Amino acid sequence: MKTEKVFFSDSVGAEARKEGLDVTQGRTLSGDVNLSADVVVVGSGAGGAVMAYELARAGLRVIVLEAGPYVPSSEFSEDFTESLERLYADHGSQTNKDGDLLVLQGACVGGSTVVNGCVSFRTPDFILRDWQEQFGLSALTPEEMEPYFRKVERNLSIEENAGHEIARHSQLALAGAKALGWSVKPFKRNIRDCALTGHCLSGCKTDRKQSMLVTYLPWAVAHGAKIFSDVTVTQVISRAGQARGVIAEAKDSSGTTVANIRVDAPIVVAAAGAVQTPLLLLRSDLANGSDQVGRNFACHPSMYVGARYPEPVYAWRGALLGVYIDEFLPPEKGGFILEAGGLGAVEMTLITEPGSGEAFLDYMEDAKYYSGLVTLIHDHNVGRIGWDGDNKRVDYQLADVDFDSMLRAIKAAAQVHFAAGAEEVFVPSTKPLRIRSVEEIDQVLSELSNAPQVLRMVSYHPQGTCRMGSDPDRSVVAEHGESHDISGLYVADASLLPTSIIVNPQVTVYALASRIADQLIARREQYLGNASKGSGESG
Amino acid sequence: MATKITTPALMAGLEPLSRRSLLRGVALGGLAFSTGCSRLFGRKDAPEALKYKHLSEDEIRTITRLTEVLLPTEQHGLPSALLVVPTMSNLDEMTGQMQPQSRELLSLALWIFENRPKMSFKFSRFSKLDDAKAREYVLAMQDGAFFERGITSTLKTFITVNYWRDSRTWPGLDYTGPVTEKWGVRRLGNAPLPLV
Repeated sequence: MKTEKVFFSDSVGAEARKEGLDVTQGRTLSGDVNLSADVVVVGSGAGGAVMAYELARAGLRVIVLEAGPYVPSSEFSEDFTESLERLYADHGSQTNKDGDLLVLQGACVGGSTVVNGCVSFRTPDFILRDWQEQFGLSALTPEEMEPYFRKVERNLSIEENAGHEIARHSQLALAGAKALGWSVKPFKRNIRDCALTGHCLSGCKTDRKQSMLVTYLPWAVAHGAKIFSDVTVTQVISRAGQARGVIAEAKDSSGTTVANIRVDAPIVVAAAGAVQTPLLLLRSDLANGSDQVGRNFACHPSMYVGARYPEPVYAWRGALLGVYIDEFLPPEKGGFILEAGGLGAVEMTLITEPGSGEAFLDYMEDAKYYSGLVTLIHDHNVGRIGWDGDNKRVDYQLADVDFDSMLRAIKAAAQVHFAAGAEEVFVPSTKPLRIRSVEEIDQVLSELSNAPQVLRMVSYHPQGTCRMGSDPDRSVVAEHGESHDISGLYVADASLLPTSIIVNPQVTVYALASRIADQLIARREQYLGNASKGSGESG
Repeated sequence: MATKITTPALMAGLEPLSRRSLLRGVALGGLAFSTGCSRLFGRKDAPEALKYKHLSEDEIRTITRLTEVLLPTEQHGLPSALLVVPTMSNLDEMTGQMQPQSRELLSLALWIFENRPKMSFKFSRFSKLDDAKAREYVLAMQDGAFFERGITSTLKTFITVNYWRDSRTWPGLDYTGPVTEKWGVRRLGNAPLPLV
């Protein structure tokens, strides 16, 4: 057995690399590799990267294991189909069991933060109140979270879109919402000096998006953290109710295992995302005394409601996301938002069913006239992540009440489009449905039903599968992120969220991870003091 | 621009086919009687199919016919989907990169799509239907049961994405494609460490 010595540098006087990231790629490893650290972080996305930086900065020896590859931003292609293959989970084909919900997650160093649209919302206050009342998360008040939001907003250059960042598609949404008297606002985004390429979902080639790839990960490395890519964690190890590390496999580019890795660490942070984290815990047969691991999956099922305008829009030009309509954000008003978003030409083939032959070509030839609104709803936690033999299984079927919300969101989007001057609206369905006037909206939408393969849904925000709560019988982790069952095992990703939060969750995850890091640091002696005792792992 | 071939999010609609009940009830029970399951995953390629490494002769025939029905490009002054843009080669290469489970689902979907007309069109396969009947069939599948919609949407996406991903199709849409290098946008690199 080969034991690799990992040298952790002193973080005093740390300085980040100007460009790129020091990553040990899995294909360079071989045989059996033993590592040790104070903390092993599973996943390098929004939660994992923040934890890695904060813990490394506090002087802990941190190892980050990322299952996906390291792709430097200079290699991003601005080709969405190629990016799906290279940067997304399951090459962009991760779906629910019914095949009508695409679950898009980043699967590369930096995780989904590399391929998201930069939209940055704080957790709505009413969601935090709901968590306090329903799940006993009494410490997570808006006042408690305020400094964490402020900190990550400052670190990630989160600012409101300026006028030049409101592209034509967003100007139309703005005009439509204003004509209806609905609340509409510019997005805040984590971006520096946006180059307005419109290719956010393929990764930002010039490092303007402040993803984890160019912020918290290089900062963590500057403070001594070590990052490994192409390393899939297969098991969390524990002993007598204490986390002890992980077992993992390093893969080459073909997916073949080239090394078996063991990391001994008294603190394990599971931050692989709301699909992979519960799968890891279930496979490890750990932390599931509540039987809630993998349950309560919500995902913000979203649709792109496109429309044709009389003048060219060129939805691929300018900042990808400009404004949002929050008129219906409060649950009592509908619990959904509409986000004005751009789209590339290839993606135009995916958003609706335009018919075949002449009809399809007519549709595509008008691509420059299309604009769109993304719907995000406050869906219920009705799904479940689990194993089906060696395959993961995503069980998620839209609840009837959520289907009604989807219809209301499509209707509102159609109203905005028509108010902005659209000539027709494309229903995001597998059937060729179009709406040609406000008067037609209800009639056309009545042709939809809550059944498999009716709506064209995409989830960018899986969440809820290891939820926080004060009651160990109803939740997986406490409000400071630690497992109710296993000391030293933390969760720090969107699995934590007890309910869906309607808005894009990246800032919520950053802020919660920052807070969890503080809580962990305050307890560090508890784990590090136990680290040297005995052996005989299980898990 | 070089066209890179990948395995993107096109297979979603085929997921229901992985259910054993559907395999048993629809694919094997309802349709296999006329063609025989032995041809389902066959690779007895005709000489003209040999230039494709991953798709079988039957699959190429089905996809070619569906491409003709879906994308009568010449009538619109667009580059031909079969003679100019290498749609079939793109599809073939994409197929070669699929995981085994996805590859089997694609085979099954194409087989169902090819043979399902036998139920309604006097035992004719899809690839043998004339233009009018082929269009009628595609429309019927698009409006059919959930798995028929899933198959049809997926195959349509499979073909149309592999056509429009080619940069030669973009001028017709006024689509600009990748722009960063064209515009010479400067890289910013990593953000500086935050001030504590």
